[in-house]
Amino acid sequence: MIDRIKNWVADNPDLSFAILLAVCVYAYFGLTNDLFATHRTTFAVMERFAVLGLVGLALTLCIIAGEIDLSIGSNAALAAVITVRFTDSLGAVNALLIALAISTTIGMIQGYFIAYLRIRAIVLTVGTLMLLRGVALFAAEEKTVMLTDFRVPDFISTKMLWYFSPASLLVIAMFVVVGLFMSFTRYGREIYAIGGARKEALASGIDLKRPMIIVFSISGFCAGLGGVIIGLRSGTAQALGLQHLLLAGTVAAFIGGVSILGGKGGVIGAAIGTLTVNFLNTGLVFNVTPAFMVQLYLGILLIVVIMFQTGSRVFDDSQRRKQLLYDVDIRRKSIGKRRAGAGSVPP
Amino acid sequence: MSADANEESPGLIARIARDNSPLVIVLVAAFVVIFVIGAATAPNFLTVFNFKTIIRDAALVGIMAIGLTFVTLSGNFFLLSMKETAALSIIAFATCMSAGYGFEISFLVTMLIGIGAGALQGVLIGLGGNPIVVTLGAAGLFFGIGSWWSDNLVVSFRRPHGAEWLGTGSFLGLPNITVAFILIAITAELVLRRTNFGRQVYLVGANRAAGKATGHENLGLAIKVCIIASVCSAFVAIAFSAQVSSAHVNYFAASFGSSGDMTIMVIATVMVGGNSIMGGYGSTLRSSLGAVFISTVDNMMVLHGFNSGPRVLAVGLMIVFSIIVFALLRRGTRAVE
Repeated sequence: MIDRIKNWVADNPDLSFAILLAVCVYAYFGLTNDLFATHRTTFAVMERFAVLGLVGLALTLCIIAGEIDLSIGSNAALAAVITVRFTDSLGAVNALLIALAISTTIGMIQGYFIAYLRIRAIVLTVGTLMLLRGVALFAAEEKTVMLTDFRVPDFISTKMLWYFSPASLLVIAMFVVVGLFMSFTRYGREIYAIGGARKEALASGIDLKRPMIIVFSISGFCAGLGGVIIGLRSGTAQALGLQHLLLAGTVAAFIGGVSILGGKGGVIGAAIGTLTVNFLNTGLVFNVTPAFMVQLYLGILLIVVIMFQTGSRVFDDSQRRKQLLYDVDIRRKSIGKRRAGAGSVPP
Repeated sequence: MSADANEESPGLIARIARDNSPLVIVLVAAFVVIFVIGAATAPNFLTVFNFKTIIRDAALVGIMAIGLTFVTLSGNFFLLSMKETAALSIIAFATCMSAGYGFEISFLVTMLIGIGAGALQGVLIGLGGNPIVVTLGAAGLFFGIGSWWSDNLVVSFRRPHGAEWLGTGSFLGLPNITVAFILIAITAELVLRRTNFGRQVYLVGANRAAGKATGHENLGLAIKVCIIASVCSAFVAIAFSAQVSSAHVNYFAASFGSSGDMTIMVIATVMVGGNSIMGGYGSTLRSSLGAVFISTVDNMMVLHGFNSGPRVLAVGLMIVFSIIVFALLRRGTRAVE
């Protein structure tokens, strides 16, 4: 059993680091605050997981594909505004479906343009960040939109199965589906391929458009669903809100073990990374930390994780270089020997 | 410059004709038509006073964009922390001013903080961290420090504080901040074209491997360009603070009534100017012109009485438009990817 665990840790160093970090954060707050390790707090953590998990999942997929989607906050805000604005006139389900359709289509168009123009996603998504913010302002008529009927928010936050609500169950289902998709379908493998080794993937006949469109559609869908959940849960939506999601989601994705170079990481890592960020968030709130300090901690966490990753990459490179030089030395020596041995033979 | 030669020689028209990309032609034509119609119909658009207003509005974003252009040209994409560096600097400046240290010392302290912020990011980027992720983290860090320092309150200081000349003074009929913008634009352009450092920025940006092979590592360069960008942010923060005699961490954020948050506006300016985000192609002059262009369109829309929604939408459209146009124009050259 211990051997098996050891092997698993050796095979998945990033995932075990993420689990270790999550356990540490949970244990710290559980030990320092009596209220933290309770059933109610677990419910609160899962409620946060519903939104942040989606963003973490979306960013994880993007980073696996070697890109990053900066427009995720604006897309979520747009979906929230649309849902809240049209719930009263069209009913919650219709409004929700319209918002999801719009945000998925936006993602799809982004993916298409990124693949078609052969540009980096950051270049296009920083543009759409602004564009979608404008559209959201337009849709909200520059006001904070509000619900009048609060039956829907009540339904979304109903407690069921001890720790869950309809929203968090939906998000967990989403995680399972995307996880299966990434591991067991060809399209999922293509996404890993274009992230880890894009030139090789293109040379072996993968069309860049398909995986890009899939990744950004999922990203748009997740952002939209996150926005819908936030909007319906709080009953209000602001066109300029939700911009903090990008930082928290990126931290979650990087704790979950993605590499900025792409091709690494997975859905389980995204879930654990998100949980870690949620433990931190909730724990800080329990210790009466002002909201703006959370950003400070998240920023430090992200920088530390990046330093760790960059450091290990630089170390790996230097090791590889040493190995290469060593190999060359050995080869040179053996060639020299052969020359010396073959010296009697006329050239 | 090779980039200018690519863009402005007859080769451009020939290339468009060869590619026969109707999308580009249609987009450019549509844009020109909209602009001319807007200029002709907007009341009071073509007056000297209005042009002064346009350039004054462009100054703050423009100065930050000039700083960011160095980062972009050197192939390090962009810094997502421009707004937060400015927020930290404005708090530092206002806190020093309200403590009565006087303009000079406050200015120095703020600049040192700007240099420190830039150096931190520069080291991390130069060692191989991804600029977007590093600066996203740094943004959270700086914003957190700024909020914690000011307790999320407005820090104000009393007039006369000795900084009025920068905020509200004028020189030969031009506001001093406009003069500063013009001077910084000229200096930056000269530095880029006439000094060793400027040539290094272009070399490393255009081809990092070649730069490394000729002894120009990205580490030193990344630190320098990040410091330039952060110092420009700090300067803008000081100028803004001198104007309003107060400071708050949210002054540069979208929620503070400006038409979009400062970081994205600055990146928009760099992109609309037509600098290649992958580095090596472009100039600070393009960024300055981009700032004036965005400011002109914004001014036109204000004169037509549009609200902030359509104006943010217009800036977003301009960015996406310029991305698509420049990507299509540069297709097949090294400037893309």
